[in-house]
Parts: sequence; C-alpha cells; structure tokens
Amino acid sequence: MRYRNATAYRFLTPYLLIFAIFWIWPIISSFLISFQATRTLPWRFAPAFNWGRLIGDPAFFNALKNTLLILVIQVPVMISLAVVMAVLLNSPLLKARGLYRFAFFAPVVVGEVAYSAVFRLMFSLDFGIINKLLNSVGLEKIDWFSNVTPAMALIMIAVTWRWAGYNAIIILAGLQSIPEDVYEAATLDRVSKVKQFFHITLPLLKPVIVFCAVLSIIGTMQLFTEPFLITERGGPGGGTETLGLLLYRQGFRSLNFGYASAIAYTMAGLAIAITLVQLWLMREPK
Amino acid sequence: MAAVTLTNVVKRFGTFEVVHGANIAIADGEFVVFVGPSGCGKSTLLRMIAGLEDISGGEIAIGGKLVNDVEAADRGIAMVFQSYALYPHMTVEQNLSFGLRMNGNPKADTDRRVKRAAGILCIEELMQRRPKQLSGGQRQRVAIGRAIVREPQVFLFDEPLSNLDAELRVQMRVEISRLHKELGVTMIYVTHDQTEAMTLADRIVVLKAGNVEQIGAPLDLYDDPANRFVAGFIGSPKMNFLKANVVEQDQRSVTVELANHGGAKLKKPLCEALPAVGTEVVLGVRPEHFFEVGEGDCDIPVKADVAEHLGSVSYVYANAGAEELVVEREAARQRASGDHFTVSIKAERSLLFDKTGARIR
Repeated sequence: MRYRNATAYRFLTPYLLIFAIFWIWPIISSFLISFQATRTLPWRFAPAFNWGRLIGDPAFFNALKNTLLILVIQVPVMISLAVVMAVLLNSPLLKARGLYRFAFFAPVVVGEVAYSAVFRLMFSLDFGIINKLLNSVGLEKIDWFSNVTPAMALIMIAVTWRWAGYNAIIILAGLQSIPEDVYEAATLDRVSKVKQFFHITLPLLKPVIVFCAVLSIIGTMQLFTEPFLITERGGPGGGTETLGLLLYRQGFRSLNFGYASAIAYTMAGLAIAITLVQLWLMREPK
Repeated sequence: MAAVTLTNVVKRFGTFEVVHGANIAIADGEFVVFVGPSGCGKSTLLRMIAGLEDISGGEIAIGGKLVNDVEAADRGIAMVFQSYALYPHMTVEQNLSFGLRMNGNPKADTDRRVKRAAGILCIEELMQRRPKQLSGGQRQRVAIGRAIVREPQVFLFDEPLSNLDAELRVQMRVEISRLHKELGVTMIYVTHDQTEAMTLADRIVVLKAGNVEQIGAPLDLYDDPANRFVAGFIGSPKMNFLKANVVEQDQRSVTVELANHGGAKLKKPLCEALPAVGTEVVLGVRPEHFFEVGEGDCDIPVKADVAEHLGSVSYVYANAGAEELVVEREAARQRASGDHFTVSIKAERSLLFDKTGARIR
C-alpha cells in the first residue's frame, strides 16, 4: 500500500507544486504582508500599521457598511425569489420548461462587462427604459447613478438578476429530490398546497437553501464587478464602495499591498463568521 | 366503514388506455386484494379510488356516494404507500398528528387518536424518533398508524410490504390481518405477490393488462380458476401446463393425449360443451397434484434436472429443454439431479384450457 501511495504522490507532484506555489503560498504570503508597512520601500514588519489603520479607517467602515447592507437585504430577497422561481419551474403546468431553465441560468454565463453595460443603459437617467417605464406610470425619473440610495438599490437589483436564476436551478434540484408521494400523503391528510409548501417543502429544502445562502454570503462579501462597472468604482462618492472594491483600490491603485491583505483577511474572516453563525442557526435539531 | 363499488372504470393516459372498464363490488368491512403482474393497472385502480388519479370513464362510489368528482381528502379513505411516504423532518408523533393538526382538530382528540394508533401498532416508544432512525418495519408501522389516526371508512394499501425483507414481510402480513380483524374496516390492498394475496384476502381481484380476469375467494381462485392466466398466477410454484390433443370424446368426457410425454392419455370428465376430437388443448396440473405411480389416472415419466429441498417441502424441476415440469411431493425428497422417475396425474386434480387460455369445464 505504501509503495502504491508513493507512486500516486509522484504522479500528483506537478499538480501539488503548482497548487502550493499559486494557491497556498499567496495565502500565506498575503497573511505575512498584512503585518508589513508597504506604503514605502523597503517594506518593514509593523503589525499595527495595517491592522491598526483598519480599526480607525472611515473608508473601511463605509465599505463594510455597504457590503453588509447589500448582504442583509439582497441575499434574503434573492434566495426567496429563487425559491419561488424553483417552485414555478417545478410546476407540472409549466410548458417549455427547458427554455425557462435556460433563461434563468443565462445571466450567469453572460459576460460581466456586457451585462454591466446593458444595466447602465437600462438605468440611464435620460435614455434608460426603466426611467421611461417609471414616467409612463406617472412616477418621477430616478437618477440611479448620482444618489446613494438608488445606486445601492441598483447594485442589489443587478446582483439579484444575475444570481437568482443560478440559485433557483440549485433549489430546483433539491425540490425534485422530494418524493411525490409525500405530497400525496399530505393531500390525503387534507393539507392545503400553501400549508404543504410551508410545512413540507421549505423544511425539506432547508439544506439546499442553507447551501445557496452560504454561497451567496461568500459571493457578496467579495462583491466587486457591479460596484466597479455599473456604479463606476463605487460611486457616487464611495456610496456603493464594497470591501472588494476597497481592497482593489488599496492593492492595485495605491499599491498598498499590506493594507489590501489586511482587508482581504478581514473579508474572509467575516464570511466565515457569518456562515458559521448561519449554519448554527439553521442546524438540524438532535 | 363503507362499501366500495367500481362500475365500468376506465383510465387513460393520453390516448393509452390502462384500465379497461373495471367492475368490482367490495362489501363493507371486506378485505380485498388486487393482484397481478407489474403494469396490470392495479396501483392505478387503487389511486383512482384514493382520488390521486382522475377517472377517465365509469363511476366509483364509496359508502353508496359517487366520488368521481370528490377531492381525495373528502373520500373518507386513508392510504399506506409502498415507500411509506413519511415526512422525513418530523418525529413519529408529528407524522401521526400532522394531518389533524393542519386541519385544526382539537388537541385532546388528536392526542387521543395518536395514542390509540400507537397502542394498536406498539410504537409508543418510537414517538420521538424521526423516520431515518427507524427500521423498515417500524416505518411501515408508522405509515399504517398515520392511516389509522384518520379513522377512515376505507384503508388503501399500495404494495406496503415490497420494501421489507422476507421475515419482516411475514410478520407485517400477520399484523395487517390482525388490524383488519380489530378495526373491521374495508381494506383494499394492492400487491404483485400472490402469497400476500392468498393469506390476507377475503376476496382477490386478479388483473392482467388493465382487465379484471377473475374475482373470488382465495381458495376458489386456486381450485377453480377462470382461465389459464389466473391458474398460472395463483399458486406457487405456478401450475404446469402440458400440451395435449383431444383424441376421443364421449358424452361426458374427453380423452386427451399428452404429446410431449410419450403419448400418455388421460380421460377428463367435463360438464360443459366438449371440445372436438383433434382440438389442441392445454392440461394444467399444479406441482402439488402429481401423485405416485398408479395413484392417478395417467402416468408420465420425468427426468429430474434440479431438486430443491426446502425442508417441509421438496421441488423437482424436470424435463429441461422439453416441456418443463415442477413436481412437489413427499417422494421428491429422495430425488436428485439426473434421476428418472414416474409421476401420476388424477383427472379430478387437473384443469383443461383451450388454445386461447379459457377454461374448459
């Protein structure tokens, strides 16, 4: 057995080397860099320089507030929407099911730049279809890009549009794993469809919903594309700047890698902490 | 309690008809088993009675009331599913009480019904467990318990023992039989296992390809099958069918020659229209109706291929490659593979069928 293992590891060596160099080492390296002052050369070991700055940096707290706000509002809305979409997709009354599944999944495969450009056009103050629709029903135009609240709403709408279908497909797989005869038994028990949804479907979907929520939390903690491309680098005036964007600004524009690394570790820590709390809250009763 | 009547019941899936006008009258408190091979329409028939499938034609009445357009929950029935269909996220107690709780039944009454069902099925100590913590037999008990708490007029069982091992199946069979005696409620039970049908039923409905082949008490079906299909389906091992030709005829009997067994001849008394000389017929003999040489009316030589000794009974599978026979008798205990021996057929313990499979009486 030992010889067989050794042979297997020899075959794995090229992969393990690449994995160690490009995956393990950057993780360790960025952790070490977060303890160094990197604004000027040469870099020097100064643990309080970045971590101390983090605690008192208004830009960090602004980005943290924006990220958490998106997380608290957008993730529950998107997951709820995904559940509804999955239930509709699973309906035996639905025709052209394959087409709908493709349509719901399509936003994930559309290029980020293309989708962002389309969203900017749709929400444009003067030419956008959204404002035209608002006007047509007697509502005033909204300047989605110049005010913080509409800009945040726009980010949430865009992220929801992009990922709700993806989550719906995952939840659909969960729905299809619930045996039909459980619903038939409930029907014979005179349990209404609505009660069946809340007392059978939702509890049985819990593991899948938790999985989707964890994926979404991790995704939202790293949110970058939408505030970078749609609201133009976290605009207006940093009103939609997220932790991911702040990290990018510090690391790739100011070349302050130490501080960027500290932000990256904070993001990862927060994602893990929130996920653990969620898993604990949603745990199965013994 | 209620009688169940099916009148010309038809079921179509699209243009494909799977049940072709079933007529079945089930008396109040009767235990009726629908039996037949896979795809014969027995589960579909049960699901139509339950209201889980629409009826394409005909009428179904429960307790004298037409239920064609009555919702499943309002038919006064309870169903036990093959896969148990327990709610996996609920405890046994919650599973039993779920339907009543969802319908706002008073808590005291719900508790009473749950307690009663648990007592009947001896599952009191399992009440706080979830389905995944139960064995197959325990799950089936809970599924039956869930049906009991509904206090239905009719119990429907859809192959409830199929997922259990042989020993547990026998045990649960006895329990279901006891339950029927205890509750005295009409029960309709679907199975493909003729042993279950024979042991449980007051009457059996034999189905084949969507048609009711025969309805009758278990022993009536065994002794007096209406056709070759019923004769072959009821009884285990199944009846032997021997090719024969009518060679003589008198006023009340025919003599048939067994072409594949050395031209042995058997004179068979009949009471209905006699088949003409030269007609091809089939002689049916159950494995347990072969006798020792000279005890019957016609002796045929056989060659044992495989002998199965089960202790209380022995089977010899004979004549591989020709007209295969299964012989069950006390003397088979001494037989081994390759043995040549002779068995005897009694005219009164054999059945005659025409080429279409209809019985010639």
